[in-house]
Amino acid sequence: MQIRKIVLALTAGLMSSTVAFAGDVRVMWYSDGVEGEVIQDLLNRFMEQNPDINVILDNVAYQVIQEQLPIELEAGRGPDIARVTNIKTLADHWLDLTPYLADPEYWRTNLGAQFDWMRPDGSEIIPGFMTQLTLTGGFANKTLFEQAGVEIPGAEATWDEWVEAAGKVQDSQQLNAAFAIDRSGHRISAPNVSYGANYIGPDRLPAPVDEGTKTFARKLVEWTESGRMNKDVWVSAAGTTYRAAADDFINAQIAYYYSGSWQVANLSTKIGDAFDWVATGSPCGTVACSGLPGGAALVGIKYTKNPEEVGKVMDYLASEDVVREFTERTLFLPAHKGVIAGEIDFQSDDPNVKAALNAFVKATGQVHENANALPAWKWGTPVYGALVTRISQAMAGELSIDDAFTRIDEDIKAQVAEASK
Amino acid sequence: MAAFFLAPNMLIFGVFVLFPLAVNIAYSMTGGNALFLTNREFVGLDQYERLFDCGNYLDRQTCREDLFWTAVWNTSAFVVLQVSLMVGVALVTALVLNRDLKARSFWRAVFFFPVLLSPVVVGLIWRWILQRQGLLNFGLYELGFEPVNWLVERNWAFAAAVGVSVWAHVGFYALILLAGLQAIPKELYEAAEMDGTKPGRVFWRITLPLLMPNLLVVLVLTLIRAVQIFDEVYVLTGGGPGTSTLFLTQYIYEVGFASHLRNPGLASAASILMGLVLIVLTLFQLGIVRRNDRRGGK
Amino acid sequence: MSRITLTGVSRSFGQVQVLHDIDLDIRDGELVVFVGPSGCGKSTLLRLIAGLDRPTKGTIAINDEDVTRVAAADRGLAMVFQSYALYPHMSVRQNLAFGLENARMPRAEIDQRIAEAARMLEIAPYLDRRPGQLSGGQRQRVAIGRAIVRNPTAFLLDEPLSNLDAELRISTRAELAALHERLSATMIYVTHDQTEAMTLADRIVVLRAGRIEQVGTPLELYNRPANLFVAGFIGAPRMNFLPAKIGGTKDGRTRLDLEGAGSLEVEAVAASAGDEITLGLRPHQLRLVDGGEGMTAEVSLVEALGSETVVHTRTAGGQSLLAVLSGQHDVAAGETARFGLVSADLHLFDKDGVRLQPAAN
Repeated sequence: MQIRKIVLALTAGLMSSTVAFAGDVRVMWYSDGVEGEVIQDLLNRFMEQNPDINVILDNVAYQVIQEQLPIELEAGRGPDIARVTNIKTLADHWLDLTPYLADPEYWRTNLGAQFDWMRPDGSEIIPGFMTQLTLTGGFANKTLFEQAGVEIPGAEATWDEWVEAAGKVQDSQQLNAAFAIDRSGHRISAPNVSYGANYIGPDRLPAPVDEGTKTFARKLVEWTESGRMNKDVWVSAAGTTYRAAADDFINAQIAYYYSGSWQVANLSTKIGDAFDWVATGSPCGTVACSGLPGGAALVGIKYTKNPEEVGKVMDYLASEDVVREFTERTLFLPAHKGVIAGEIDFQSDDPNVKAALNAFVKATGQVHENANALPAWKWGTPVYGALVTRISQAMAGELSIDDAFTRIDEDIKAQVAEASK
Repeated sequence: MAAFFLAPNMLIFGVFVLFPLAVNIAYSMTGGNALFLTNREFVGLDQYERLFDCGNYLDRQTCREDLFWTAVWNTSAFVVLQVSLMVGVALVTALVLNRDLKARSFWRAVFFFPVLLSPVVVGLIWRWILQRQGLLNFGLYELGFEPVNWLVERNWAFAAAVGVSVWAHVGFYALILLAGLQAIPKELYEAAEMDGTKPGRVFWRITLPLLMPNLLVVLVLTLIRAVQIFDEVYVLTGGGPGTSTLFLTQYIYEVGFASHLRNPGLASAASILMGLVLIVLTLFQLGIVRRNDRRGGK
Repeated sequence: MSRITLTGVSRSFGQVQVLHDIDLDIRDGELVVFVGPSGCGKSTLLRLIAGLDRPTKGTIAINDEDVTRVAAADRGLAMVFQSYALYPHMSVRQNLAFGLENARMPRAEIDQRIAEAARMLEIAPYLDRRPGQLSGGQRQRVAIGRAIVRNPTAFLLDEPLSNLDAELRISTRAELAALHERLSATMIYVTHDQTEAMTLADRIVVLRAGRIEQVGTPLELYNRPANLFVAGFIGAPRMNFLPAKIGGTKDGRTRLDLEGAGSLEVEAVAASAGDEITLGLRPHQLRLVDGGEGMTAEVSLVEALGSETVVHTRTAGGQSLLAVLSGQHDVAAGETARFGLVSADLHLFDKDGVRLQPAAN
């Protein structure tokens, strides 16, 4: 343990080298797929056009962004630009780019829809832009359904219908489970909303667990017990540990996989032509067939020493052509209104990819307002954490589902109390 | 003059051990979400109160911090099981290795090899063996048995955590015991042979008492290690299924750093409590070492 | 009590043969000493008798019963180890009782035997101490006590005095001799020290490189060593060896030509003229003579001890000759000394080192 402490201290010390020199712009970036190469390429071109600005791209693991960046920001340090997903929770640390941008209006028009996701409530600053929009949604193994002779449920199908259909495929094809959902509170929030949940209570504080959440949570436990839902994913870890169920879908172990649009490039690469797969939007609940939007944002850091250079880099990266090229190469959904309106030629030979991405684009129209409000809500991540911790305990049989609900409320209340100190 | 030579070491010790320790204690008496100590609010012993807030200490569901008590109970059970198993297997291994086997050096290397592996490697290897579609189930299936989802069944996952950590470290302790065994003069065994002593009695009346100092050292070392268990188990089971292999260190890590319900003050308080247990064990070990030194030179 | 008989006993470790074909007959109540230089196999032989090791060939019999394959514990022998091998974590009393408890002896009898041995060895005050709290001599007595309480058929002692200091060694030697008298037990005693052998043994077995060189009483070995090795090993200071040639035999006398040291006439021996032999002379056998026959040598060092005078000399042939003269003599370094013999006891060895026999008449 002692060695570890020393190493952590040294690492923290070394990380302070992310403080940049004049003329340098440090970008902290993470990659799900190929984005790292794409952005490096784009930045190289920027540096050719702007020889006096040196952009340094630090490609780090997602966990660094999640766990270490917040610590640096608290210390008043950090990179100049970062790609982050906890956009709202850390909103106090983002730089207001407005004085450094060539054309703030361009920004507001094309990218303004998601500014509220990235800035403190009531603020008017321009903190950055979404590198991609993500939307949760399902994927079905078309080949398995065909082999089982089961029809793929339509756009209006409910969760129960999906699980039933996938269940038939499971029985017919001797699969280990019918479907799986990533081990994440964020992932089950869209279905919760579809069953009528509203997380946001009065004063924009978290509301107690309501019927919508309870309904879907009960279903999850039931499906786990009946063997329809893949037990390994949720039960095999504790606390808020993230586990993706992608590998099971890629290995054709399950018929249906509920994840999100960011998986498209990953699935395409890993599945190849092993089987046909489709994106299906989100199954319906009683109230909606909603997915949960989100995404990663590229933001400027308040503590940068080179705000002008940061502005220039951001202007470049947010320009329509660059965004389009980024989108086409990374296979992400764009947030840029201008790009969405125009032609997007996703660069992939895989026919499944284009169909899937278009399906997701279409599904953005199905997003319920309760779900849409969540990315802009600062209590999102604590609520997701409580949900996943306790519901997985219920699935493991450690807690009754009702006890789990009580605990969720307690956990969230404790967190709110802590934050108010 | 002595102070002059001690100064560099004390400096490093102070900066890297004492200072973080003091900061940790300070953290444990603050509340709030801010990461920096100076931004946090002083709350006295509230965090400790919160940790100990239980209706009935034996029923963790009556506790406010049920995950903390889950971790405490899991760790206690783990310590008892793993230490017994570890010391037992190490003793048997040392006894076997002490004989004049063929290729003795080879066998010693085989038992010691896992000690050299990084804990993440150990966890991964065993996860690949024990997971639902892992090597073990594959073998069982081929032999006609029903495969078991080892890492998802509560008791099996716990047993796996115990077994894997024993496998990874027993070689080290076996070596310590082996050294102790070899320090016992051979002539004592010959005298016992001339005395007509049965093998069982030789073990209980001669080998074991003379090995006792080493055994105690091994016992305390394994105890201290077992309380801190984290690396292999985290990779192997991630604390699951449910929370059945959630141990103290993982709890502290999650609460302090990883989880979205991040609460550094609570994590610090829990880590201080854990530290107190370890201090007691370490003092115990120091006592044993001193007693050995005094006894030394028979 | 017991007789121990070894027949054709050999022991090899892999390719290395440590004992070659040992035949030995140890009588009831004898104190036999195995003596020899390091590596001669004496300890190995003792261990074979004890049962801690098995011979590669040959048989061992105790009281005419073949015990070659019998376990050490069942041979009824007791061993005193060189390092005493006392159980360090047990008290003296527990050490003594340990073997008896194995035999499931009743408590009363165990206590009685321990009391008896403690009295005999004067270790009663230490019964409740641990070995670590005793001196070397006390520990040694406890080791002997442990053997005594078992009432063994024979005692085996492996260099028991080598860990004691010189003064203690002498007193303990006497105690061992007394013990042997009192117990009338068969004892096999291993040592590298020929003085211990000479003083304690009823018979001595001289071993070298795994073979018996000679077996006999101390005086037999002293007066009639069978070969060069035994002659040089037994007796201190060491026997002088001078190379010589047989001059010729006439009238029952043989003349020996000592290279560069003169010549001697001795009782006729079975050897031919011109044979190369070795003449062995004990330092105590030399005396100063004035003229005529004898050996001459140049004095290099004189040690006047009062009761004796030790004279170190060198012959013209370069041989060193040591003389121990009784009383005080006026000799100085650099002078030439002339030696004669105190008695006619000479030791002649042929070129193979074997003792020459008197000529058959």
